[in-house]
Amino acid sequence: MDSVFYSRVLTELTLSFHIIYATIGVGVPLMIMLAQWVGIKKNDEHYILLARRWARGFVITVAVGVVTGTAIGLQLSLLWPNFMELAGNVIALPLFMETFAFFFEAIFLGIYLYTWDRFENQKKHFLLLIPVALGASFSAVFITIVNAFMNAPQGFNLVNNELINVNPLVAMFNPAMPTKVAHVVGTAYMTSAFLLAAIAAFRLLRGSNHIYHKKALYLTLKVGFIFSVSAALVGDLSGKYLAEYQPEKLAAAEWHFETEENAPLMLYGVLDDGEVKYAIKIPYALSILAHGSPTAEVIGLDQFPEEDTPPLYIHYLFDIMVTIGMTLLALSAIFWIGMWRKWSFVESRLFRWLIVISGPLVFISLEAGWWLAEVGRQPWILRNIMRTSEGATSSGQVPTMLVLFALLYLVLGIGSVVVLRRMFIRNPVEQEIADRQQVKGGDIQ
Amino acid sequence: MNEFLIFYAPFLVVIAGIVLSFFVVLKDDAVTRSEYKESEKTDV
Amino acid sequence: MNIEILGITVLWVFLFGYIMIGAIDFGAGFFNAYSVLTGKQRILTNVIQRYLSPVWEVTNVFLVFFFVGIIGFFPKTAFYYGTTLLVPVSFGIILLAIRGSYYAFETYGARGHKGYSFAYGAAGLLLPASLSIVLTISEGGFVELVDGQPVLDYWKLFTSPLTWSIVVLSIAATLYISAAFLTWYANKAGDREATDLLRKYALIWALPTIITAGGIIFELRKHNPLHYENIQRFWPMFLLSFLLFLGTVFLIWKRRQYGAAFGMLAGQFVFAFFGYGASHYPYLLYPYLTIYDSFTNHAMAIALIIAFVFGLLLLIPSLYLLLRMFLFNKDYVKGKEDHHA
Repeated sequence: MDSVFYSRVLTELTLSFHIIYATIGVGVPLMIMLAQWVGIKKNDEHYILLARRWARGFVITVAVGVVTGTAIGLQLSLLWPNFMELAGNVIALPLFMETFAFFFEAIFLGIYLYTWDRFENQKKHFLLLIPVALGASFSAVFITIVNAFMNAPQGFNLVNNELINVNPLVAMFNPAMPTKVAHVVGTAYMTSAFLLAAIAAFRLLRGSNHIYHKKALYLTLKVGFIFSVSAALVGDLSGKYLAEYQPEKLAAAEWHFETEENAPLMLYGVLDDGEVKYAIKIPYALSILAHGSPTAEVIGLDQFPEEDTPPLYIHYLFDIMVTIGMTLLALSAIFWIGMWRKWSFVESRLFRWLIVISGPLVFISLEAGWWLAEVGRQPWILRNIMRTSEGATSSGQVPTMLVLFALLYLVLGIGSVVVLRRMFIRNPVEQEIADRQQVKGGDIQ
Repeated sequence: MNEFLIFYAPFLVVIAGIVLSFFVVLKDDAVTRSEYKESEKTDV
Repeated sequence: MNIEILGITVLWVFLFGYIMIGAIDFGAGFFNAYSVLTGKQRILTNVIQRYLSPVWEVTNVFLVFFFVGIIGFFPKTAFYYGTTLLVPVSFGIILLAIRGSYYAFETYGARGHKGYSFAYGAAGLLLPASLSIVLTISEGGFVELVDGQPVLDYWKLFTSPLTWSIVVLSIAATLYISAAFLTWYANKAGDREATDLLRKYALIWALPTIITAGGIIFELRKHNPLHYENIQRFWPMFLLSFLLFLGTVFLIWKRRQYGAAFGMLAGQFVFAFFGYGASHYPYLLYPYLTIYDSFTNHAMAIALIIAFVFGLLLLIPSLYLLLRMFLFNKDYVKGKEDHHA
């Protein structure tokens, strides 16, 4: 049945593209809020302008996020009708609430964008951002609840293919939910912080030595550091969740074949017929990750039948995600300490290029993380209940749709990059500050 | 303990991160210090 | 009023909301592109551009509400409609994506070149057509079960007169609703020239809309006798709808109370749409799916309704706030207050 294969490819393509804009959609409102908050508190026009320009770019990513979000929302039913028929009975509630959360955010974002100078003091305008940030974060929370349910389904009983005593709330508060939601929301803030930091660093490298960019860089890297730490902490907690409730996913991600105590953590390495070679071995680390004690026993892949184990390449996805995450944590820590201790090195061209590279890197680790989460759940679409192959559509037109959607995403991707570049290159900060000076009689330098 | 770690700790970590960010971003004297230096330079 | 009827009625209201706001949005996009083609651009563009700006996201959410809601209340529809609608709905998504992204790129980004606004306008017409296919399929006769899997007979769908009359109605109605609304909106903005032009469009598209609407009921007699029998029981609603239609055309013709004219137009479509919906009862998809055998379990139904009520308590005031600040704010309509980000 190749419609299963093509359904998986189209779903993965849509999710991989949508997640870029959705993550920005969840993370950037908090950054705008922080900038406007500092601008009001310290009465510093640069930060207000920072919030204003970020908001302008944010609208473009929201637009693409909306249309690709609608696409994946519909494709869930179009490509996975059997799954949605079953899941619809138990997990439709958060899907429904996600639409409300986004609608709430969209309305106040529209109002926020159009009332910049309509209020006498900025505070009232700042308050409009709260529903935007809340709506953005909660739409991520509700969608992640649905994804968590797929990994740890509960809140219903399946008796000879009949769904009985369904409890929607129990289904929502499944064991996978807290760690997944916190990791998704936390890394959304981290990704947005490093994206905006990369842009600021790039402008500084491009010769605009304006203090505005230095303030942006300092703010974004501090927030980036905080949420890198949060991502690492919650990542560790996720390891504890996996060991307890989804051991096969952790075991596959770690190439942990035999159930054993004081298990080492293997980074990278190559698989040679069941034998791990050239891996960096960190003794006891897997036991600590899984159960918090170096001698704890960690369940290996030997406990699971061959056809129930996830594909083993997710090991590399796990390593890419963790390596980049740790590197960015270190980079932002060095920058913060460097600015505090006045090391000139952190303001050097080389260091700024590292910050610029952290932009694309953070998105690579975002994609690696999501592929790990989705491929790691295989062969199930609803763990231990429905296999991915059973959930897919029987329609034969999926390949043609795959080509059409691939073209669409190409157009949307290129379109958004072109528009964003043109939007900010034609209107650099120096020029916008100068324009505002005539309008406001030169009250900002 | 394990139940706390899996079910409640994650939310506390993210919320702490958000609250911390609102305080930490206020302290930007490391950057603005050079701004005053610059403006003093131009005034003199 | 059992819970199944409550569920489908709620969803039908959302679908109606989407059809009305969507029609205005799609029609406006088409008129904008048409005016560029016929050189009347300076008359229409600023009125349409100002109307479109903060409202387009709202349109999209009504559609998402409808299909997430129907999966929530009637999960079996995912099986029947999910498998059969892959192609038409995928086209709908792609058109929506082009419109949605073009809109944001154009307003906030660079001034797009002509080609893109034509795509935007064309998508405005193709969308109602491709989405109306869903209603055509619900009439039955196009989907049959082949070893347990629903299969859509494209050729039969493509060659059926019912399909084409519904497609033509959806396009005519889109342009008619949009022209009538924009006539009122342009009049409020005090733009004499745009009002006259849009009034002309409204009158042009009034006749085709009512003719195709009548045509569908005629087509139904051959295609789905059960539904035809049912629809006759609701003749008072359709008569009222027709009278309201006459009232709208009269007011627009006489250049009086464009607001009242649009109000009557909305009334016309409420009666027609809910008359059609009520006569469709109990079938979601003839003959396979009724609202009873596809309804979700009791616990989920209650949870969805509670979430829905709280959601509306949250959204109605915020929607009112949005409309009060933009669509119906005198200064904004006159273009004085455009504090763009």
